[in-house]
Amino acid sequence: MATLLQQLINGLVLGGLIALIALGYTMVYGIIQLINFAHGEVFMVGGFASLATYRYFLPPSWRSDWWLALPLMAIGGAVVAVVLAVVMERFAYRPLRNAPRLAPLITALGVSVILKEVVRLGYPGATAPVPFPRAFVDHQFRFEFFDGTVNIGSTAILMIVVSIVGAIILQTYITRSRMGRAMRATAQDPDTARLMGVNPNRTIVLTFTIGGALAGIAGVLYGIHITNVDTEVGFLYGIFAFTAAVLGGVGSIKGAVIGGFAIGLIKTLSGQYFPGGTQYDLVWIFVLLIVVLVFRPQGLFGEPERVRA
Amino acid sequence: MTALLEVQNLSVAYGAIEAVRDVSFAVGEGQIVSLIGSNGAGKTTTLRTISGLLRPKSGTILLEGKPIADLAAHTILERGVAHCPEGRRLFGRMTVEENLQLGAYVRKDSGVAADMQRVYDLFPVLGQRRTLKAGLFSGGEQQMLAIGRAMMSRPRLLMLDEPSMGLSPIMTQRIFDTIKELQAAGTTILLVEQNALAALALSDRGYVVDLGRTTLEGPGHELLADERVRAAYLGED
Amino acid sequence: MKEWIEYPDGWIWLGQVLLAIAVVIGVVYVLRLGWRAASAFLATRPALDRPLGLTGGVIAVVGALLPWVTFRLNDGPYPDKATLQFFDAPFALSGFRLHTLVLGVLAIVVLFLPLPRRRVLRALGLGAIGIALVNILFPVIDGGGLGAITSDGENFAFGGIATLVAGLLLLFAAKTGGVLEPVPHWKSAVPRLVAYAVLVISFVVLLLVVAMMLNAGGQGGVGNPYAGPIFLSLLAFLAGVLGALQAIGLTTWISALSDQHKWFSVVVLLLVALGLPFTEAGTDYWMTTAANIGVYAATAIGLNIVVGLAGLLDLGYVAFLGIGAFVAANFSGAAAAAFDIELPFVVAAIIAAVVAGIFGAVVGSPTLRVRGDYLAIVTLAFGEIFKKAAQNNIGDLTGGANAIPNVPPINWFGQSFDKPLTIGSVELPSGVLYYVLIIVLVALVMVVFANLKNSRIGRAWIAIREDEDAARAMGIKTGQAKILAFLIGATLAGLAGAVFAHKTSTVAYDSFQFIESVTLLAAVILGGMGSIPGAVLGAALLLVLPEKLREFSDYRLMLFGLALVLIMRFRPQGLVPDRHRRAELADEGADGVPIEELNVHDTPGDEKAVTR
Repeated sequence: MATLLQQLINGLVLGGLIALIALGYTMVYGIIQLINFAHGEVFMVGGFASLATYRYFLPPSWRSDWWLALPLMAIGGAVVAVVLAVVMERFAYRPLRNAPRLAPLITALGVSVILKEVVRLGYPGATAPVPFPRAFVDHQFRFEFFDGTVNIGSTAILMIVVSIVGAIILQTYITRSRMGRAMRATAQDPDTARLMGVNPNRTIVLTFTIGGALAGIAGVLYGIHITNVDTEVGFLYGIFAFTAAVLGGVGSIKGAVIGGFAIGLIKTLSGQYFPGGTQYDLVWIFVLLIVVLVFRPQGLFGEPERVRA
Repeated sequence: MTALLEVQNLSVAYGAIEAVRDVSFAVGEGQIVSLIGSNGAGKTTTLRTISGLLRPKSGTILLEGKPIADLAAHTILERGVAHCPEGRRLFGRMTVEENLQLGAYVRKDSGVAADMQRVYDLFPVLGQRRTLKAGLFSGGEQQMLAIGRAMMSRPRLLMLDEPSMGLSPIMTQRIFDTIKELQAAGTTILLVEQNALAALALSDRGYVVDLGRTTLEGPGHELLADERVRAAYLGED
Repeated sequence: MKEWIEYPDGWIWLGQVLLAIAVVIGVVYVLRLGWRAASAFLATRPALDRPLGLTGGVIAVVGALLPWVTFRLNDGPYPDKATLQFFDAPFALSGFRLHTLVLGVLAIVVLFLPLPRRRVLRALGLGAIGIALVNILFPVIDGGGLGAITSDGENFAFGGIATLVAGLLLLFAAKTGGVLEPVPHWKSAVPRLVAYAVLVISFVVLLLVVAMMLNAGGQGGVGNPYAGPIFLSLLAFLAGVLGALQAIGLTTWISALSDQHKWFSVVVLLLVALGLPFTEAGTDYWMTTAANIGVYAATAIGLNIVVGLAGLLDLGYVAFLGIGAFVAANFSGAAAAAFDIELPFVVAAIIAAVVAGIFGAVVGSPTLRVRGDYLAIVTLAFGEIFKKAAQNNIGDLTGGANAIPNVPPINWFGQSFDKPLTIGSVELPSGVLYYVLIIVLVALVMVVFANLKNSRIGRAWIAIREDEDAARAMGIKTGQAKILAFLIGATLAGLAGAVFAHKTSTVAYDSFQFIESVTLLAAVILGGMGSIPGAVLGAALLLVLPEKLREFSDYRLMLFGLALVLIMRFRPQGLVPDRHRRAELADEGADGVPIEELNVHDTPGDEKAVTR
C-alpha cells in the first residue's frame, strides 16, 4: 500500500511537470496547428539557463537562501526560454505560415536538433548530466502509511502546486482578458480575427511567450527535483508532453493538465506494476493514447474539429 | 466632394489566377452602394482586399482620399472600415457577448458597454441569449450577430458580404430593413449581394461586377430598370 | 569543482554575447541595406551588365592566379598549392584555383554569346563566392588569422578576397535591369540516336563527377585535415556550373529527353552506376560507403512513399530498417541468432520485408482515425518502443546490448560478398559485390516507386496529401490508401534492412535510433519530396558529407538540423524537385519572399493568395 501511494505521488509530480510543458504545446498547436517539436528543448534549455543563473550570475552570498535564489533562477530560466521561443517563432516558423503543412513541422524538428546540440556542445560539461545544486529546498516529509514509509520532497509539492496554480491562472487569462479573447479568436478563425482588428502576429508571439515561460519554469522545477539536468530530457519530456496535450484535446488548457497527470500516473504505475517495468512504460502510454484517439479523435476535452467552410 | 471610399482599377490575384481584374467604384458618405454579380465574379475578393486581408496586384484603394491598400487589416479597421464577412464567420465556440467584445477589440473608449446594449436593443433575441455559444444559433440570428459584431467597432463604412445568404425571405427582409436603419443612423454601407433585386432597390448606387470587372454602374433604381441587368441577374428574358 | 566559475564571469560573458549579437545584427542590417540599394540602382541600368560581368570575370581570373594563403599549414601548403606564386609555375594551377579560373573564363565568354547571361552570371557568381568563402574562412579560423589571407609581411595572398569581390560583381551584373531573362526552352524532339548519345554522355559525365567528388580531398580525418574544405569548395564549383547549365536550359532539356526515353535512361544509369568501381573511386573504402549510401537511399525511397507521396510524417521509420535487419540476422545462421537455420539470402530478405511490412501496416493503422499531425507522434513513439525493445533483447530476438554479431556475408556461387572480386585481369575492391547488389536493389525500389506513383494508388496518395477531405469526397478510400503507403514503405525498408544485416555483419539496436530516422527524413526532404533521384541524392549527400567533414563530426547533428531549417525556408521543394510538386511550391516562399501574416485556411481557393 505504501508503495502504491508513493507511486501515485511520484506520478502526480511527474504529471505536474508534463502538464507545464504540455500547456505550451497545446496553446501553440491550438493557434497555428503546429506540433512545435522544439518545445521540449525549450524546457531543457530553461533548465540549463536556470542552472547557469545560479552558477554564473548569482553572487555566492545569495545562493544559500532558497527564497532568494529559487525565484531568480526561475526568472533566469523563464527569460531565456521566452527569448528562445519568440526568436524561434519569428525566424523559423513565421516565414513558413503559408507553406505546405509538412514544412513547419520539419523545421520544428530541425530547430529541436539544433537546440539540443548547441547546449550539448556549448554548455560546460553538458555532454553528461550536469548536477543541480542540492543545497536548498531539500526537505523531505515522511509519514507512515500501512506497511511502509512514504516520502514527499518539498520540491515535489512545489511541482504539483506550481503546475495547478499556473494552469488556473492561464485558464483565467485566456477566458477573461482581452488578449485571451484575441488568442481564442485567432485559434478558431485567424482571418475573421484579423477583421476584428486582432494582429495575428502579436497574438502568436504572446502564445509562444506564455508557452516558453511555462517551459522555463518547468525546467527549474525539474532541475531542483531531479537534482540534475541533461540534454536528453527535452526530447523525452517533449514526447510525453505532446502526448498529454493530444490525450487531453489539443487547444484545451484543462485537457493538457489532466492529460499530463494521466500520463505521469501511467508512467509510474506501469513502471511499477506492469510487465517489462520501466523499460516499457512508453508502450503503455501510447496504448492509452491510441485507445483514446480511436474513440475520441479530438482528445478528452478537445472541441470537435472545425468544419471547413 | 471626395467619396468616403474610392477603388480604382483594382486587380487581385491568387498566385497566377486573377480573381479581380479591373474593378472601380466609389462610395459616397452616407450612401448605400451595392456590388452585384454572379458567383465568382470577384466581389468577395474585392471586399477582402479593401479590408486588408489580401494585397492588390495593382490599382488603388482610397479612404477619404488616402491610400489604404498597404495597411494591415487592424489599421484599416481602426480607420473606420468594418467588414462583415461572407458566411458570417462567427466565433462559434464563444458566447454572443464575447463575439461582440471582439467586434470592439480595437476600441479603447468607454462606450463599448453602451454600444453593446444598443445591439441588444436592435436585436432583442441576442440580448436574451448573451451567454450562449454563437455556434448554436440559427442562420438569421447568426447574421444579426455578425452585423452587430461589425457595428461594435463604430465603423464609418460597413461592408456586408452576402448578408442574405441562406436566409428565409422573412429573415432576409428583416436584415435589409436593418441595413436601412443603419444608414439612417449615419453609417455608410457597401453591400455585396447575389440577391440583386433586393440590393438594388435599397441602394443609392449600384455596380455590376462581371468576371472581375465593373461593367455597369448607375443609381440603384436605374440599374434595376436596365435590360441587361434584368436579363443577367434578375432572371428575366 | 573546477568548473565552478566565479559569478561575475557570467555577466561579463553575457555582455560579450549581447554585444556580439548586436554587432552581427548591425552588420547584417547594413549589408542588407547596401544590397537593396545596389539592386535598386542596378535595376535601372540594364546596360551595365557587360562592364560589370567583364570586370567580375577578369578579377576572378586574376584572383585564381594570385596566391590564396601566405603560410604553410601543418604538413604542407594549405590545400593544393594555395600558396603557389603563379609566375613561379604558370601551369601548375590545380584544385580550387583552377575551378575559380574556369568560372571566371566562363563568365567572360558568356557575355559574348546569345544566352540568358544574367542567369548564368548569377550562378557563376554564387559559385565563386562559395569557393572564396570556403577557402578564406578555413585558413582564417583554423589558426591562420586574417594574415593568412592578406599579407604576413613578406608574402601576400589576396586571391580569396579578389575572388569574393569578383563573385559579388557577377551578382551585381545579374541584377542589372531588374529582371532575369527567361530560361530558353530547347526543342526536345530530336532524332532518337542524338537523344541516346546525349543521355549516355550526360550520365557518364555524371559518373565522373561523382567519382571526382568522392575522391576530392580523400577520406578526411586525421590523415587529411583538408578534405573538408577541398570537398566543400568543389561542391561550390559544381553548384555554380550546374546553375549555369540550368540557366541556359540544358539540364531541363536533358531531363526532358530522359523522360521521353525512360527505359533507355534507366538502363544506362544502371550501367553507369555499375561503372563506379572502375573509376578512381573504386576503393574498398568508397565501395563500402557507396553500399551504405545505397541502403539508406533504398530506405529513403520507401520513406518517400509515406512522406513525399501520401504526405504522412513518419518519425520512426528507421525501425522498419531495423526490423528487416534483425529478421534477416536471425535467419542467417549467425551464432547468436534465435533460429538455428540458415535460409538463403533471398528467402530471408523476403521474410524480412514481409515482417517489416506487417509492422508498417500496424503502425499505420491509427491513421484510420487519427489526423495526420498526430500520426507523427505515434510513429515517433513506435520508433522509441522499437529501440527500447531491441535494447532489452525482446524475445531473445535482438541480442540486446550484445547485438547479433557475426552475421555471415552473403555467399553466392562460392563467392563471398565481402571478398575482392577478380574478373579476368581486373581486380575489383572488396565490397564491390555488395555495391552491385545494392545498386540492383535501389534500381528495383526505384521501379516500384515510379510505377506506384503513376498508378491509381499513387494518384490517390497525392490526392490525400493535397486535401484529405476532398480526396475522401471523391471516393478515395483514404484509410486503406494510407495504410498501404505505410505497408509498402515499410516493406522496402525491411528489404534494405536484410542487405544491411549481411553487409555490416553486426546488427545492433543503436544503429536504429531517432536520429537515423531524422537523417532519412532529411535525405528525402533535401532531395525533394516525392522525387526519386532526390531521395538518392539526399541520402548520398548526407552520408558523404560526414565522411568528408570528419573534423566537424561534433557538429554533424547541428548541421543536420540547420540544413532542415534552411531547406524548408529557402528551397522547400528540395534539390531535385518532383515535377508535380515543383509547380505547387514554386511561388510559395521558394523565392524568399517573407510572408508576414497568417493565411486563410478555410476557403480552399485562398490558400495561395499573397496575404499581408
